[in-house]
Amino acid sequence: MSTKLDSRKLRLGAFLAVMGPGIIAGLSDDDPAGITTYSQLGAQFGYQLLWTLGISTIALILFQDLGARIGVVTRQGLIGLVRQKYGARSGMLSALALVLANIGTMTAEFAGIAAAGNLFGISKYITVPLAGIVVSFLVLRGSFARVEKVFFLLASVFISYVIAGFMAKPDWSAAAQGLFIPSMPLNREALFIATATLGTTLAPWGLAFIQSYAVDKRLTKEDLKLLRVDVWTGSLLTGIIGFFVVITCAATLNTNGQTSITDAAQAAVALKPLAGTLAKELFALGLIGAALLAASILPLSTAYAVTDLTGRPAALDDKANEAPLFYATFAAITVLSATLVLIPGAPLIRILVLTQILNAVLLLPLLLYMFGIARDGRLMGEYKATTRMLVVYSLIIALIFACVGTLLWFSIVG
Amino acid sequence: MSKTASRTQSAVLTRKGIQNSLVSVAGIIGRPVKDQDGRDLGKLLDFVVRHGGETYPPVSGLIVKVAGRRAYIDGARIAKLTKDEITLSSAKVNLNEYQRRTGEQLLDGDVLDHQIVDVNGLRVVRTSDLYLAPLDKEIRLVGVDVSFRSFVRRIFPGTFGRKPGVDQVIDWASVASLADDGGVVRTTATREALSKLRPADIADIIEDLEGREQSALIELLDPDLAADALEEMEDDELQGLLRGISDERAAELLSHMEPDESAEVLRDLDEEHSESILAQMSPAMAKQLRRLVEFDETHAGGIMTTHILIVKESDSVSDALKLLVEHRERDISDGVTVVDSKGKLLDHIQIIELIAAKPSEKLETLVKAPFPTAVSIDTPLEDVIEEFSNNRGSSVIVVDEKGKPVGRILADDIIDAMVPAESSGLAQGSGALS
Repeated sequence: MSTKLDSRKLRLGAFLAVMGPGIIAGLSDDDPAGITTYSQLGAQFGYQLLWTLGISTIALILFQDLGARIGVVTRQGLIGLVRQKYGARSGMLSALALVLANIGTMTAEFAGIAAAGNLFGISKYITVPLAGIVVSFLVLRGSFARVEKVFFLLASVFISYVIAGFMAKPDWSAAAQGLFIPSMPLNREALFIATATLGTTLAPWGLAFIQSYAVDKRLTKEDLKLLRVDVWTGSLLTGIIGFFVVITCAATLNTNGQTSITDAAQAAVALKPLAGTLAKELFALGLIGAALLAASILPLSTAYAVTDLTGRPAALDDKANEAPLFYATFAAITVLSATLVLIPGAPLIRILVLTQILNAVLLLPLLLYMFGIARDGRLMGEYKATTRMLVVYSLIIALIFACVGTLLWFSIVG
Repeated sequence: MSKTASRTQSAVLTRKGIQNSLVSVAGIIGRPVKDQDGRDLGKLLDFVVRHGGETYPPVSGLIVKVAGRRAYIDGARIAKLTKDEITLSSAKVNLNEYQRRTGEQLLDGDVLDHQIVDVNGLRVVRTSDLYLAPLDKEIRLVGVDVSFRSFVRRIFPGTFGRKPGVDQVIDWASVASLADDGGVVRTTATREALSKLRPADIADIIEDLEGREQSALIELLDPDLAADALEEMEDDELQGLLRGISDERAAELLSHMEPDESAEVLRDLDEEHSESILAQMSPAMAKQLRRLVEFDETHAGGIMTTHILIVKESDSVSDALKLLVEHRERDISDGVTVVDSKGKLLDHIQIIELIAAKPSEKLETLVKAPFPTAVSIDTPLEDVIEEFSNNRGSSVIVVDEKGKPVGRILADDIIDAMVPAESSGLAQGSGALS
């Protein structure tokens, strides 16, 4: 091993080390809730609302990228920065909302695993605790690099949607039109699904995660280029998979007049032309992979946020006695959400709907805070956002405001 | 928490008058600023503190929102400060937008909710609140609150949110605030307190701090102490830290570290960065480190320490002892290495043998078996390990091609070399998600 070889190795190593978090953070947005939403988008409205997915993907790319940049430049997590810049009240409330939303989302992931296990005839009392233990063990103790590959493999089942998308012989010109020419039926269902698409693609936990992760791993400005590649790849992949889920459902379910689906398992029917009778099993596997992927991020994202709020940032390398708060939060989130899924008669559906609303509402202040941080020269230095980027950020934030506002109005007025 | 508080309360905070007049900074921000007749002038946005040598820094000015601007009002014009409002001695307000000057620090903008080091509690915390009180004819920052309870209190509106929790206040002198912009509140007291900490504790604190605060702490520490702390840190932490500070400071710190440790750090940095750090060092130090960096870690030259006390055989025992006393702080000063007139290795003499011998005696009389194990610079690591296990010694001496001693390998260097390289560098940071 000469010194020269060493440095070359280090560079390649650095690339591999940075590759990953952005992809996981992106793909975890294609969790069971995400797939269900995309399926509904396609089944209910065909190709017409594809553009909302396009905008969601652009928003995901821009804000994940911004989060990574803020983390690298300020070397602080999002919640800590919010407390520092916007005061105690903002910091505490954001952290509280993030914790609640993450418990809800984690519950959704466990529910997805339970449902997938059911398809194989395995009781949720086995699959859910097992998933909780596996995820905690792997994230905290194991080499995530290896685990990552297993999850990718599982989630890659969604690639079958890409193939299924082709086999379903979609109307490509209608798909292109739906993607590039925005049109909107002015009814409650359309608004609801458009907002849900935005909310499920651009998730608060993902934004908080990518920033804290960059801090934890002490990524520097030199790593930023690689991290960007990673973040962009992850976000684009999320959008592409979503796109094919939508057109598959549009070409099959929507064309056949089957427009209402309530959960991801029903969407498996869309895979029939490809996998025939195996569709169900294939889909269940993909569901498990997607759920595990998200379930490995959520408790981490929460633990980072809580320790960041108190000013005692912890890292994955810390031992349990060095970072009790970090590990306690991690454990509490995992145990609590697993328990919620396992309690007989727990109002799961209500929890999931409330979580979706909470995630969407939380997204607004978080994006505004990120916007404020991005234009703060004292924090960002030479990485301060340009006026042009600020205009783009504001346009997206305004759009999300409009969607969430309308959705809230509908939920309250009924 | 209250234990920490009572332990660190000093004379100032226990004075009855001070305790009753404490004003919570978090509580008064956003409250009205009035003129002498009680008319509202504007809303308080921040306190400006000038950084100087004082333990309790005085408030040098206020930033007040007047007619949509951030106006600066001189601290000398504060007539009365209560926990709800500030009264000025005159109504004149300069409406120029406040511009930060060097050496100025904003209490809300730079200190409140930012990280500080609680020196007595040995931990990094976010400040939950800051407390002002009149002291020596000025309004000064006297206390800080780092409790979670006070942080939660601030979320509530109204007077409850402004009530200082006096039992949670710790003395400002017992924390190190690390705000940036040259506005670091560097009191001699905090510097002294920091210098009493063990290097391992400082290393833990450094690892808990974020970017700017981390660099600020490094700047604040005495280079020797900082270097000791750095030696205690994990490799990848250390590299992250070096990327965050100036090359000049990095060079200074690395010069204070054991050369073999510095070389190891430099070896892991990318070439450009390590070159720019080396360029800031003294030529002699840079030359020595460059040579060490060249040796790779799988050979004797790459794991040895170059701290070796060399004496000639013609020197006396007292010369050797004097040299040892001069280098007593080095943990490798367990003896001296004796060379002949051409500089070739003869023997390693333990300190106990020197003490037992007559001070006037020449070292050559002490040169006898057992002779130390010597290896050449390019001996592979496995062979070095074998030498160690064969001879059961605590060290081997490394010689160059001419037989001159250039360094020693101690048992702990071997352990360092044998621990798999998996925790080095960004590539394989330990823990998950890497």
